[in-house]
Amino acid sequence: MTLLRKIIDWIDLRIGVREVVQKELTGYLLPRNINAWYSLGSILFFAFVLQVLSGILLLVYYVPDAEKAFKSVSFIMNEVPFGWLIRMFHAVGSNMMVLALLLHMLSVLFMGSYKRPRELNWLTGFILFIMVQGISLTGYLLPWSQLSFWATTVATNSANAIPVIGPYLVEFLRGGVLVGPPTLGRFFALHVAVIPIGIVALIGAHLFLLKRTGVSAPPFGQKETGNQWLGDSYHYENHPGGIPFFPHFALEDLRAIAIYMACFLAVLFFDPYLFFPKDAFIPANPFVTPSHIKPEWYFLANYQTLKIFPNELIGLSLQGAAMTFLALLPFVDRGPERHPLKRPLFMACSIGGLLLWIGLSIWGHFS
Amino acid sequence: MRSRDGIRPLFVRLFALMLAALITHLLPQTSFAEGPAEIVCIQCHSGMPEKYSQPVKLWRGSIHAENGIACNSCHGGDPKDAANAMKPERGFLGAPKEPAIPAFCGRCHIGVMNDYLASAHGRALGKGGPTCVTCHGNHQVLKATLELINEKSCSRCHSFDRARMIRDAMQQTDGMITTAETRIIAFKKVGSDTEKLEKELFALRNRFHSLFHNVNVEMVNKESARIQADLKKIQSVLATWDDTGRKRKIAGAAALSLMLLVALLAHLLRKTFDET
Repeated sequence: MTLLRKIIDWIDLRIGVREVVQKELTGYLLPRNINAWYSLGSILFFAFVLQVLSGILLLVYYVPDAEKAFKSVSFIMNEVPFGWLIRMFHAVGSNMMVLALLLHMLSVLFMGSYKRPRELNWLTGFILFIMVQGISLTGYLLPWSQLSFWATTVATNSANAIPVIGPYLVEFLRGGVLVGPPTLGRFFALHVAVIPIGIVALIGAHLFLLKRTGVSAPPFGQKETGNQWLGDSYHYENHPGGIPFFPHFALEDLRAIAIYMACFLAVLFFDPYLFFPKDAFIPANPFVTPSHIKPEWYFLANYQTLKIFPNELIGLSLQGAAMTFLALLPFVDRGPERHPLKRPLFMACSIGGLLLWIGLSIWGHFS
Repeated sequence: MRSRDGIRPLFVRLFALMLAALITHLLPQTSFAEGPAEIVCIQCHSGMPEKYSQPVKLWRGSIHAENGIACNSCHGGDPKDAANAMKPERGFLGAPKEPAIPAFCGRCHIGVMNDYLASAHGRALGKGGPTCVTCHGNHQVLKATLELINEKSCSRCHSFDRARMIRDAMQQTDGMITTAETRIIAFKKVGSDTEKLEKELFALRNRFHSLFHNVNVEMVNKESARIQADLKKIQSVLATWDDTGRKRKIAGAAALSLMLLVALLAHLLRKTFDET
């Protein structure tokens, strides 16, 4: 212990690390009524780090070439020591991360944490959500399986419905008229470089905004649940008499992450193919169209919306409108009240929207 | 400079143009690949009287239809040109005479044709013996399975006794092949590299199928035993994979338990801070 203390003293003398720890960890106070939903942000950060690490390991053996991609994934799954674990970790992890992200957004919605002055927190979070969907979509193609190939064909085809620029956009996305080797190259670059860099930058912005505005107190267990910010000047929301981030909330985060990992491992080891349709392990064949190609579960509602309308442009426009509305929600919903039970219109709309999304997803799954 | 009256018709025209473009875009469209168009043989014959349309109906339920083998694959002709589809200069062969049937089918099924010609059935070709279509059907071509060796079919020409002995000898091997195939497909569906096993099983199945036209009971028994020995090697590889799967589940259970333990410890430790 003396040696450890000496090392810490040595570092502290040079960069004042004790002051940083006091300010950012032990002295960083959070609301006393903070709940488990607040740990979803930490879970997401942890899940993203796991995705990056497992992705880097996959890069060692993965070959982004249409001729070799499927075989390289098969090689990882069958020949590389623990390759199956790393590949499944990455594939199952992406689905679990999307699930955690949806829960995180729902908790922010229902606790009214997106309200001013946190509009930018919501906006950066929403863009992160879009980027996570983007990284999932681009990653879907990389194994170059029947599922990858045809799901990407259908997904990119949707852009055709956009007037005037649609066909050009499809060709730009695919790198050709049809999904082929150039598409794989593009999606690979997006998946391993462009989107991850964007995600890291946005996570940085999201955390910076969180630090600047302070954590919002949950509206539960309080008499006054309205928004206290008057909008006249910058104000950091501190929580005098709150619990310190370390060790109190760090332990709650650790508990939440461990529970998340337990769920993740349960899927990984006992039902690893939960998210894999049967075409996921058949090599891509541009000449054989599988009868029922479905997107990932979180795109099923979008998929079904496109199918409901006789024209894809209407379906796309509706989805675009819904996404824009969600992105700009803090600028639309400007009421001060944050408690969900005191916001009946919001509750009715959000529960209705959620049920609609679930219903469309189930319909899409069975259609 | 354009007057307000001049601008209005231009604006109306532009608006009408945009509206027309929008309506064109709103017309129903399909983004999914359509299935291949039916060949002209099916298009014409489907609408003909029973005698000519029945082959189409029978073919739809055949193993050929299942594998995309269409009319022109056997009968030749041009499946894209209705007017000239059945012209000999376009390679149309029509239906073969009975003695020519084995050679007709044997253009694709070369090994099977040789097995058949070497058998008692093949030696009786042209002397009242059976041809391919006697057992397998002509348009509703049936998949080669042991069910084709049955009393109803065989006793049309001879007693079923010897055929029964051969079928019984092959029954177990057939079951082993089916089981191995099902299990290999199941492993393939979860990403296992089954290519080598599939090739081995394919070769074994071909060896097994060559016995189908053999009527020598002793030879069928011996070859069946050899095929079974090779099938057991495939089974042992599959058993190893099963074992690996079990070990992975045990490791997973341990990792999962560890995570739950960490969660419990973090929870308990957090509670101690509450008390202090």
